[in-house]
Amino acid sequence: MSNIAGKAYAMNVVTPVRWYSAWLNKLYFFVAARTPSTLAGLKTLSLIHYARWVIVGRNQFPHLSPDQPREKLKYAYMLFFSNFNGSWDQYVDSFTFAIPGGLDLFWKGNVRYSKSVSLTPFHRYIQYNQLETIHYYNGYPLATANDIKSAKTVRDSLLEFDKTIDQGSDEEFLKRYHALLRGLQHDLGAMYPTPIVSMSAYQVEKRARWHSAEANREQANG
Amino acid sequence: MANVSGNAYGLTILSPIRNGVVRGAEISHADAVREKLQAWNHEFNSPMASVPQTYLCRFYVLDDVVTQSLPGGSALDSLTDLSPYIPDALRRWALPAEDHLQSAYLVFSSNLFCGPAGTPDAYLHGMWNAIEARVREIWGHCYGFDEVRNVDDFVGYMKKCQLEATLFFVGSNDAPLEEQLKALYLKQEFAKFAIDNQGLPAAQLRANYAAFVQRVQPENVQGPAWQPGQYRL
Repeated sequence: MSNIAGKAYAMNVVTPVRWYSAWLNKLYFFVAARTPSTLAGLKTLSLIHYARWVIVGRNQFPHLSPDQPREKLKYAYMLFFSNFNGSWDQYVDSFTFAIPGGLDLFWKGNVRYSKSVSLTPFHRYIQYNQLETIHYYNGYPLATANDIKSAKTVRDSLLEFDKTIDQGSDEEFLKRYHALLRGLQHDLGAMYPTPIVSMSAYQVEKRARWHSAEANREQANG
Repeated sequence: MANVSGNAYGLTILSPIRNGVVRGAEISHADAVREKLQAWNHEFNSPMASVPQTYLCRFYVLDDVVTQSLPGGSALDSLTDLSPYIPDALRRWALPAEDHLQSAYLVFSSNLFCGPAGTPDAYLHGMWNAIEARVREIWGHCYGFDEVRNVDDFVGYMKKCQLEATLFFVGSNDAPLEEQLKALYLKQEFAKFAIDNQGLPAAQLRANYAAFVQRVQPENVQGPAWQPGQYRL
């Protein structure tokens, strides 16, 4: 199992929705997606890389072959996938504190949903319905979602700045350079691998040992 | 289409895993999938690092759905608890039903760059071309995959397994992966440059900056940059 890849955590939650009211949930999402104020709260949670909700009807599970038995489900199901930075508790709690209303709207009508406030029943609900990821891949394990956003700002600024390298005197260059640094002061900062907190810690340590042995071998070979 | 947000795509795949055991082995197909995916964690990097434009992706096995037995806050739960005189039959009727899947499902969820096309086709082509053998190793345990012989069959198969997102939220950005990796590399390098070159005379700083630009090549997304899945500096 590996819910963690670098600085990202993969959360999977699968919860039943009464089939006759699943259309209402779809409607809430449809309206939310078109109402910027609803998503504004979600955007304040800058620790999220990507999140997704999928509602699958009780007769909509993929059927690929005549050998495959047909599902006979009583409920529709909502699948939630999130990729976020930080710990499980930080994430679940920040959801509760930042967008409790939105959360209750998205999970409205889900069977035995506890409501997002108070915290302990909500924690229990998510834990109870959470499924472990077996393999999680992150294209940029050293970076957080905020790093990715700020990196874009840094690159755009550098590309703009580079057009002026040859313009004016050295002193004018220095002024522009200082202005560049002032403009980017919230976006700079070095990234490093996270302390190992994942269930795949053993593998990470093993890889680190391998890399260090390789480096020693290279050094020995001159 | 709710799977798309800007240039990013949320791909959700549920592939039914065969019931029964793997021929010649005392292991169910679902456990075989689990075991093979688990083994991917022991490799130096994920096979998915070779699949172009993958931001983040995951695999898990949905063995069955979970029966809801926690206390809840829904109207029905509250109504049946209004009075101790509500008959037991009615209380039992209000309890969540037990539900079971007829087969386990392999869940593959990927967040990827799809570009203006807004479809996962190019991504799935890239996936097949990059890691066909690894795809077969996993999906070979799924119903209907025995009919997949080439890349077009694979794209068709995955589309049959695909579920439409109800809401896809992008909190990061939706640029091509190589642009994101280039930007991260630049952020890292420029932070170092700013620290190492503090307080230098203007002419020296300008010369150092010109050398820095020549080294890091900010415009060249193919050039010096982080690699997909890079976990060390």
